[in-house]
Amino acid sequence: MSGTTEPGALALEEPAERNGREDRGRGIAAYLIGFGIALLLTAASFAVVMTDLVWGPAVPAAIVTLAVAQMGVHLVFFLHLTSGPDNSSNAVTVAFGTFVCLLVVFGSVWIMTHLSHAGPPHATAAGM
Amino acid sequence: MSAVPTPRRSEWAGPPAKDIVTAYGFWMFLIGDVIMFASFFAGYAVLAGGRAGGPGPADIIELPNVAVQTLCLLTSTLTCALAGVMAERRRMAWTQLWLLATGLLGVIFLALEIREFSHLIERGATPQRSAFLSGFFMLVGCHGVHVVAGILWLGTMMAQVAVRGPKAYVQRRLSAFMLYWHALDIVWVGLFSIVYIWGSIT
Amino acid sequence: MLGRLDWSAIPLHEPLPLAAAGGVGLAVAASLFWITKRGHWGYLWREWITSVDHKRIGVLYCILALLMLIRGLVDAVMMRTHQAVAVGDAQGYLPPDHYDQIFSAHGTIMIFFGAMPFIVGLMNFAVPLQIGARDVAFPTLNAASFWLTASGALLVNVSLVIGEFARTGWLPYAPLSETSYSPGVGVDYYLWAIQIAGVGTLLSGVNLVTTIVKLRAPGMTMLRLPMFCWTSLGANLLIVAAFPILTATVTMLTFDRYLGFHFFTNEAGGNPMMFVNMIWAWGHPEVYILILPAFGIFSEIFSTFSGKPLFGYRSMVAATMFIVVVSFTVWLHHFFTMGAGADVNAAFGIATSIIAVGTGVKIFNWIFTMYGGSVRFETPMLWSMAFLITFVVGGMTGVLLAVPPADFVLHNSMFLVAHFHNVIVGGVVFGVIAGYTYWFPKAFGFRLDERWGKIAFWFHMIGFTAVFVPMYWLGLEGMTRRLQHVYDAGWTPFLYVMAAGVLASVAGTAALIMQLAVSIRDRRDERLRDDLGDPWDGRTLEWGLPSPPPFFNFAQLPDVSGEEAYWSIKRKAIEQGELPEEPDYDMIEMPRPTPTGIFVAFFSTLIGFACIWHIWWLVMVSGAGVYLAFVGYAWRDVHERDVSVDEVRRADQAARAPRAAALARLVKEGRT
Repeated sequence: MSGTTEPGALALEEPAERNGREDRGRGIAAYLIGFGIALLLTAASFAVVMTDLVWGPAVPAAIVTLAVAQMGVHLVFFLHLTSGPDNSSNAVTVAFGTFVCLLVVFGSVWIMTHLSHAGPPHATAAGM
Repeated sequence: MSAVPTPRRSEWAGPPAKDIVTAYGFWMFLIGDVIMFASFFAGYAVLAGGRAGGPGPADIIELPNVAVQTLCLLTSTLTCALAGVMAERRRMAWTQLWLLATGLLGVIFLALEIREFSHLIERGATPQRSAFLSGFFMLVGCHGVHVVAGILWLGTMMAQVAVRGPKAYVQRRLSAFMLYWHALDIVWVGLFSIVYIWGSIT
Repeated sequence: MLGRLDWSAIPLHEPLPLAAAGGVGLAVAASLFWITKRGHWGYLWREWITSVDHKRIGVLYCILALLMLIRGLVDAVMMRTHQAVAVGDAQGYLPPDHYDQIFSAHGTIMIFFGAMPFIVGLMNFAVPLQIGARDVAFPTLNAASFWLTASGALLVNVSLVIGEFARTGWLPYAPLSETSYSPGVGVDYYLWAIQIAGVGTLLSGVNLVTTIVKLRAPGMTMLRLPMFCWTSLGANLLIVAAFPILTATVTMLTFDRYLGFHFFTNEAGGNPMMFVNMIWAWGHPEVYILILPAFGIFSEIFSTFSGKPLFGYRSMVAATMFIVVVSFTVWLHHFFTMGAGADVNAAFGIATSIIAVGTGVKIFNWIFTMYGGSVRFETPMLWSMAFLITFVVGGMTGVLLAVPPADFVLHNSMFLVAHFHNVIVGGVVFGVIAGYTYWFPKAFGFRLDERWGKIAFWFHMIGFTAVFVPMYWLGLEGMTRRLQHVYDAGWTPFLYVMAAGVLASVAGTAALIMQLAVSIRDRRDERLRDDLGDPWDGRTLEWGLPSPPPFFNFAQLPDVSGEEAYWSIKRKAIEQGELPEEPDYDMIEMPRPTPTGIFVAFFSTLIGFACIWHIWWLVMVSGAGVYLAFVGYAWRDVHERDVSVDEVRRADQAARAPRAAALARLVKEGRT
């Protein structure tokens, strides 16, 4: 039987507004705004490499910044990652996950670059 | 960890709603999936210099193709979100329509990617050519495989929506799918920025 | 039609694998015959194979683990006895390629299919009970996780009979594991077994994190969680974060082997050292995944068997979370000698030394828990106290190895082997045996025989000491690991002692088997029967349930008002001389059993086997099978089954009766 609210149930069947969950039907407006911003940031990324708007050496930093910003836009506007009470476990988890991602990528690059300094001439790494 | 402590029985509103539990679990899975992508990213980053005298990033990247792909995927994220809104409002015909749009945009994305890969392979820029190309094909290909899986899931969901309608478990699965599809676009943002855009000037 | 599989895959000319396979085959056939004869298939299918009950799944994991630990021990016996007779002119009895497969299988089986399933099984069994939940968050996913793990174990064991196993060690470093140096099926068996089991473990991690965060009983705030649940949370967070790295790395090696990619090859810009880097980025968190739940088990046992609450609860929580985070920052210490240079080595060396602080906090807290308590030296406590001593020694040798200059001398020597066995056996294995003894009565309704338990303990202690203390010395003397032939005759006495030691461990394991047999035989005896459900005077919620608990666990979800949820309820009942009043019983919804888990695993095993032997049509068919199993599960319309109010009431009253009787006895004796 669905829809019961027995305290003995494994979990409630119906989506529970009473559990403080934010109403996801916040409206189409939020999605359109998020889409618009993401579109702009995407265009900006392409513009950074296809034009001379950004000073040469700063281009990689600009690309990374725009990428991080767009990921943030997606997280907030599409994945609803905010600091609300029901979301705090999600935010901590995302933070931990990000920490691990950064460690794995930058840690590996750091280690492997140092290894290549010590190794035989043909072993190169991180040619970025 | 929940900022709000679990209240005592007298104030306890009941066990958490299934959709909250499912959403949290799926978040966990997505975090893991993103870390897997990060590992492939690390592989790409470390091995990008290993060209074995063959083509490098700037040689294989066609920005116009990537721009269209990105547009498709980003728009599909929007159509997916709209499908979710319609599902919440129990308007299943609209839901199916937006889901179909999402799927079609995904298929276009894949077609463009397959075309890109075939061009590269024709030119001899195969993944067996060098470590750089192995890393490139694996990272981009892994994302592509996730899109394929997503479209398969989408098709199955559309069939289930058609047969079962807006049942609670169907809604939960749609929400999970939406989380998945949005996460795929987030990964793509990282991919196109670092591999393609940055790569085009390397 | 059958890819590269043909009759030559069966080792007809090798007596040892044939004999082993024959023995196992006979045992399996005998079991199947007995089950069929007694008509137990229906029961097995309904109650165990299609079960999504976390308690059943936990037991299944532990059974798998025990069987695989025995297989791993057999490998260990072969290695120790072979080395003892392979010194100087003597050649031993295992040819090199056979010896290499044995040490590879030993490590792979012990870690992936022995230790991991055991701790996952104990977490599965106990965590929902301890947090006051009826099951884990995703019961069907849980079943699938178990069967996928079993699938990986099956593939590794099949390699004994059809084909061969990897010869590359338990972590298949490139380029040795690439096709050019390992053209056979061995590495492929390893890769597919690990990949399939790894998916199972990852899903289990997602499941348990969600369970602990979202399904706690009313009043069970995070800071009232039993310590075992905190360490389980830490371990499962690590699983979610680290296992994807394993998936990616195994995939990269698989693509190198199958499709000629160049991630870790010597040619075309590949970098074999990248494999070492990536695999240890997973590998280090993995050992913390193993040890954290063991720490949790010890926390429960120290407090229960000292009759005192755990000392320093909050610092324990902090230490656990500290370990979770820092465990991701130390992985290079597994390859200090690979040449990353002084800066990198120093950074990781310092981080490695720092992580020891977390464990140090825990050691002191356990000691202070015992201090001032009335300590009972039953078997779980014996294992725990042995752990305390051995783990400190093993941890100290770890801190020694964390110093890069010292590691340059000792890397890949027997000192290293002694260190990690010291902490894994002394920490994880002692922990799971202690946990197995501790929770056995809860699972089955009778305790394990104390006398045989103590015999097993002492034999294992003697064996462990005799194997690993000389091994440290041999490492300092310069003996390298994984030697099929030993060139220094001066090491012979040590090798003899170690061979004798492993035989003592065999005796200890035999004693554990005896213990189980005797306990099952005598299970209705007064001395072993657990009528009340609280044989150890426990402090956590599972001890408030009957042994075994009804499949829905709690008739009414407990209302938790303080730390040590069950202890306060129990004290109050004893003081008042009566049980708390009967709750208002409600109907309960429970998940339905389903064969999805075993179907998915069955097809996954076929995918793995078919990929190993290049039987591509079978890969396609099995892939479709997995998808159809999913869809079949997803298509069902009724997800739960109802447990009527009457059934709940009857189960609860049956549980209350012996407790009420025991209380009445206490009242009569004036002890309330």
